Amino acid sequence: MNNKKNIDRLFQEKFKDFEVAPNDAVWDRISESLPKKKKKRRVIALWWQIGGVAAVIALILTVGVSVFNSDKNNAQEFPIVNTEESEKNSKKNNTNSELEKNSTKKSFDKKQIELNTIEDKNTKVVNSNLDSEQKTNAIRTEDNTPQNTRPSNQLTNLNNSKQKSNIIANNYNKEQKTKNLQKPSNIRAVANKDKSTRIATQTKTSNPTLKTNDKSQLKSEAERKSAIKRTIKENKTVVVENSSSKQQDSETLKTDSNKTDDSLLENLIIEGPKKESIENAIAENKEIIEEEKEDEPNRWSIAPNVAPVYYGSLGEGSSLDQQFNENSKSSDINMSYGIAGSYAISKKLKIRTGVNRMSLNQTTTDVYAFTGAETAARGTDAAFKNISFKEGAQHVSLMSSKMMNRSSAPELFNTKFAGNIEQKFGFIEVPLELEYAVLDKKLGINIIGGFSTFILNENEIYADVNGASTLIGEANNINDTSFSANFGLGMDYSLSKQLNINLEPTFKYQINTFNNTTGDFRPFFIGVYTGLSYKF
Amino acid sequence: MSLDKLIKNCINQDAQAQSQLYKQFASKLFSLCLKYSKNYAEAEDNLHDAFITVFSKIEQYKNKGSFEGWLKRIAINTSLQRYRQDVGVYDIINEGNIEDVSVDYNDNNVNIDFLLNIIQELPDRYRLVFNLYVLDGYSHVEISELINISTGTSKSNLARARRILKDKIEAYNATSNSQSL
Repeated sequence: MNNKKNIDRLFQEKFKDFEVAPNDAVWDRISESLPKKKKKRRVIALWWQIGGVAAVIALILTVGVSVFNSDKNNAQEFPIVNTEESEKNSKKNNTNSELEKNSTKKSFDKKQIELNTIEDKNTKVVNSNLDSEQKTNAIRTEDNTPQNTRPSNQLTNLNNSKQKSNIIANNYNKEQKTKNLQKPSNIRAVANKDKSTRIATQTKTSNPTLKTNDKSQLKSEAERKSAIKRTIKENKTVVVENSSSKQQDSETLKTDSNKTDDSLLENLIIEGPKKESIENAIAENKEIIEEEKEDEPNRWSIAPNVAPVYYGSLGEGSSLDQQFNENSKSSDINMSYGIAGSYAISKKLKIRTGVNRMSLNQTTTDVYAFTGAETAARGTDAAFKNISFKEGAQHVSLMSSKMMNRSSAPELFNTKFAGNIEQKFGFIEVPLELEYAVLDKKLGINIIGGFSTFILNENEIYADVNGASTLIGEANNINDTSFSANFGLGMDYSLSKQLNINLEPTFKYQINTFNNTTGDFRPFFIGVYTGLSYKF
Repeated sequence: MSLDKLIKNCINQDAQAQSQLYKQFASKLFSLCLKYSKNYAEAEDNLHDAFITVFSKIEQYKNKGSFEGWLKRIAINTSLQRYRQDVGVYDIINEGNIEDVSVDYNDNNVNIDFLLNIIQELPDRYRLVFNLYVLDGYSHVEISELINISTGTSKSNLARARRILKDKIEAYNATSNSQSL
């Protein structure tokens, strides 16, 4: 059947719904040549997911355990102690930091005050001493003190000035007699004028007497330094200086020549130690400057830390024996302390490790303890395969009171009081963790994930009957080396460029700490790690 | 996933989204590539290049016009790219005003494969102009800009393409008719 049609229409109609699926190989080629950026993103996304889960778990457990245990007798301790500890620590740290800040501030203030007072002293000397040599020296010391930029010069100058001030004292006695009459008038004039003019007048008056030492050099120095001094003066409160100099003036005016001698000598004597304190101040200043210079990123940091740790189990179970599965168990808040070091791989990511010593305990309540004879009477197999009884305690047998209720309890047991089994164990912990900074400001938030290796170093079981605690042996089902998976949420607050306060609630799930556990025994512990980290 | 979300995820270089986008549009674009290419292999190459361009420039899609249209333009441009470089010399044959070319054809014989085949057999520029003008609705002015020819050349190429296609269809009809007789 033949049709006749416009060729364009023919093609348009035929190609209207024309679709051909390409070979799959094309997509393979495309996906291969696409940029691989997405993989990186995935890693970060994975970190976010893991970190998020870790943070949530840590939070839920911290809250959950406290809520869950709140109806039990002694578990209320946990949240209270926990917060107290952390608060105390943070407070301590805060006060420390404040003290540090204050002390540095104080030292800085002190320094300034010292500089001022010394200057005042010096000006006093200048005012009361009209001897040219003494004056120029005094001016020099005065000028040198604010010049922190050249500490070495200053030190030598200070020494010079010290020596010269001694000379001043000596010279003064001789010259004072002759110059006594001139002095009061000069001082009065000086007190009303500003420093620069004072120096000018003084240098003028001193010029004729400048004959012995330093001569023209001193003159030019004095001139130059008076110029420097003028600029320095601008930064300082003229009022203070004026008042102090006025005071000094009035003092010198009141006293007769002998008395001024004494007061001057006193001033000069006082000057000595003051100048030494300037040296200290300069040294401190230098240190501060050096510290500030170290602006390069500090990749390494070291952090001593301490943590209250709480031990618990996710499910109902016992590491000791099946019969204790349903017994209520509790543990005290123990301490973990140690030191951690970290290396910043990038701005956001840190790898860290350390060493912590940690002891944990768990108390299983409602347990009867028997001696050998009663064990025989009970007729049950008294062997606990998870407990190695120590010498002399082999005859002790333990029995859950829950079990007792189920069986027909003989009279004998009714007289017994239920006691506790207390299990203590300690580890040396070596964590290896990654820390990812979610927030990288003054207050930082980190997500921490990793694992820890535990080396058993303490392992004891006590029978706690009628308030008396007896060591009965040790658990033989705790592995010497075990591991945990760690998730934590860290907060840090930077006190300075080097110093951070850390607070890290961390959840550690123990993977293979115990063999032969019974029931659903999944041990974990939570620690709120607090510490100071120092970057270098 | 909505198309907007899909595009957004593709901008973020999400592999899954890229795969999904490909699956959604590959057939349409491949048919385009087939029309503009000499053969299947070249069409595959063009499709590949087109999608690489799509994924690398997807953030430049500004929601102006349909996304499919944007994809098609990229596919067409990619296909044209190949011929922009080596612009062959074609005789400019003034065919006169034979705009209305009618063709006798047998609807049973003339299937899409045959039509595609004869398009692909066209000389490169005839094929491009015919596709652009007839199948993808470009004007001669646009075509002249796209493949860097004058509108006159575009028109003449189109006429020539039509002529060739018409001859091939009728020849095919003749052979199939004689075979069926």
